[in-house]
Parts: sequence; structure tokens; C-alpha cells
Amino acid sequence: MSLAPGWHPVALSGSIDPGTSAGTHLDGREYVVWRDNSGVAHVWEDRCPHRGMKLSFGFVRGDHIACLYHGWQYDTAGRCRYIPAHPDLDVPATITVPVFATVETCGMIWTTTDAAPNRAAPPADPGEAMAVTTLYADIGPLAFLDAVRALPPQPFIPGDPEPQLSQIDGALWRLTAGGDVLLLGMQRLNDVRSALHVVIAGSASTYAGAGQSHVFAWTRALRHRLATVPAKSEATHAEAV
Amino acid sequence: MALVLYNYDLDENCYKVRLALSMLKLEHETIAVNAFPGREQETPPFLALNPMGTLPILKDGEQTLFGAEAVLAHLARTHDPAGTWLPVEGEAFAAVMQWLFFASGDLSAAGRARANALFGPPGDETALRAAARRAIMAMEDVMVANGFRAREWFADERHTIADVALFPAFALSRDFGVDHDEFPALRKWARRFRAIPGFLTMPGIPDYH
Repeated sequence: MSLAPGWHPVALSGSIDPGTSAGTHLDGREYVVWRDNSGVAHVWEDRCPHRGMKLSFGFVRGDHIACLYHGWQYDTAGRCRYIPAHPDLDVPATITVPVFATVETCGMIWTTTDAAPNRAAPPADPGEAMAVTTLYADIGPLAFLDAVRALPPQPFIPGDPEPQLSQIDGALWRLTAGGDVLLLGMQRLNDVRSALHVVIAGSASTYAGAGQSHVFAWTRALRHRLATVPAKSEATHAEAV
Repeated sequence: MALVLYNYDLDENCYKVRLALSMLKLEHETIAVNAFPGREQETPPFLALNPMGTLPILKDGEQTLFGAEAVLAHLARTHDPAGTWLPVEGEAFAAVMQWLFFASGDLSAAGRARANALFGPPGDETALRAAARRAIMAMEDVMVANGFRAREWFADERHTIADVALFPAFALSRDFGVDHDEFPALRKWARRFRAIPGFLTMPGIPDYH
């Protein structure tokens, strides 16, 4: 089983510091998102081929990620380069972790499992982006977007009060409210849970601090709504389409 | 004034005190207590020190204290001449108190969830995990908000005993089935915490050698 075609956001760029890793899911499959010490982000299958341990539990050393269990180290191409128990071994090239195309745009880390020839361009970068938060909920993407429509944010920068939500890429939505432009990256974690990555398309001079807090407060209100107001089921949506 | 810690290595409340003793660079004696499977802390010699039969217990000269948060406050107040681990001025004092009580109150669900998962005392596993997750989510919310004003710690501009009291529940959360995936602000905070001089690990918290 492979992912839905196209690019999928897996984390806010700022959530993965250089030299760190974190686990995540797409369509129920496990991925590790990690950033090497030179700052390049990587998305791999979250599984050490040795004993199946999650690589997201491991640690980053320079441009290698090492498994927590036995310290097997993998280079940025996913190839095992060092096995501590056999320090003199020239590690066979067959020991590899599946790696996936990874880009950073819109303040988020994106991946796709599409093969290079069919791969669409990732979403265009809007320029300066201020990360807010990732909101998690036990809900499908369509119902998540319904909740955004039902409870749009109050503008931080005043302007046309009519909020607008538009899809600008498979998993990327633009939400305008007043003078604000938010970018919403939708990540389907599994059948029952989704993540919404929330970024302000705007400058630090305008939004750093108070502007981020303003949008964060909206995400908390949205979370409260999701926890308290029953959503239409995804099946209902499918019938409606 | 000799410090004596009655300790069980796998107990996260004892770990709070071990962290504080190490970070404050305090010489002390450690007495190992057979908490599991022996429940030695519930026997009369220990009940004489702490009638509730829990760990940790700290002796400081003539004084005997139980409860990790009280021990942290005592160590910071009496053994940190700079006063940064327990600030007494301004908003920081009450903020430290808030997080100490949170650690021993709402967040104690994490300790009970972990004890239930590892050592098997009775408990509603699902309810404990949900309560622990809710408390950890509250911590994440606060650290996200703190990030917007460039504050890296829970109670003050620098680290305090509040951070010491909060760290074990998050760092050990995988023991009771709460992953770190959805808590990026706490991951970053935990990474900063690990860099504090004197930081120690415990079983369940990897030492990235």
C-alpha cells in the first residue's frame, strides 16, 4: 500500500531541530522525520531493518541517524554505514532504510512516495512564514476542514471580515481572515486521526509573539469545538460528493 | 549536615530528587530501597520516616522529608545560594509553586499510569493514560505559548525546580503508551533540560552515548 499521490506535510519545520528526530504517521504507516546537523530534513520509514526498532527513538549524530537498540548508523541516503558490534565490518550495501523525497516549503516538512517521473512539484513557497502549532484531532480531514469553516479565526490584522478557505494543493489550504493569510497543511495520520499544521504567511515583524499567540488561541478554540461538537462522518461526506 | 536519599532507581519521584541533587552538586548518601517487588518502603522502619509508605524520603541532618516536590523545594531553598532554582521574588515564585503542585497533582496520573504499566498495581489503565495525556497536553500548550515570548522554561526565564518536577513524566511517557510525536514543544524543552549541567538519565530515558 502506498500513500495517496502528491505531497503530504509531516511536521512544522520548526518542530524538528537540527540533530533531532520524531515519529509520525501517514495513512496509518510509521515515518521518522529527522534533521541532520547541517539542517537538511529527511523522511524515512520508521523502522531499523535490524530488529524493527523505531528509528524515531534513536539519535542523530552529524549526518547519520542511529538506532537506539544497537547503534546501527544510517547515512542520509538510508544506507547503513556503521554497526558498533562489528566496527571493522564494511557494511553490505543491501542494508538500507526506505527513504522518501522530502522538501520544506510553507514552513512545513513535506514528503511523497510518488516515483520521480510522476512526481508533481511541491507547493510553492509563499516567502516568510511564521509557525503557530500543529493541531491533532480524532477526526478525518474533511470534517477537520468543516470545523475550520464553522469556526474561522478573528483577524489579527483587520480587513475584509469574510473568511475564505481555498485548496491550493492536495493537502494545503489557504485561509484568509481580515488581513491575515494562514496556510493549513492537512496530514491524515490514520483512519481516525488527523493533524493540521498551522502557519501564518506573514513577516516576523508583523506576527512574531502577539500575532502567533492570537492564531494559537484560535487553534485552542478549534480543538475545543472538535472535542465538544459532533462532526459529520467522513462517510456522509463521501455520499455528498 | 549529611543528606541521605532513600531511593528506588525505577521510581520517577526518586529520579526528581536524584536530578536535583546532581544539578545542585550536593554530596549525599543513597540508600537503595527494595520497592519492587519487596515494598520495603511500606514496612515499619520506613513508615517511621514516612507514614504514607512512599518514596522518596530525604534526611537532611535532623529533618526528614517525604514527597518529591517538597524535597525539591527544600534542597533549592537551603542548598542553592544563588536562589535561581527556587526564585522567591516577583511572579516566578508562584509560577514554580503552581507547577510543583501540578506535578504532584494532575500530572501524578502519569506516575500511576507508569506504575500500572510496569509493576502492575491495580488501576484503570485507559483512564490513567487519558488523564496523563491530558496533563502532558496542558504542558505542551503552555510551552508552545511560552515559545511565542521566547521563554524556554516553565516558571521563569531560566530553569527552576519546576522543570525538574515536570521532566520525568514526559521523558518516561512511552512507558505507559504516550508517544512524543505530538508534543514538539516538550521535545525541545526536554532537549534543553538534558543539557543542564548535572543532568542524569534513568532506566527508560536513553543516554545518547
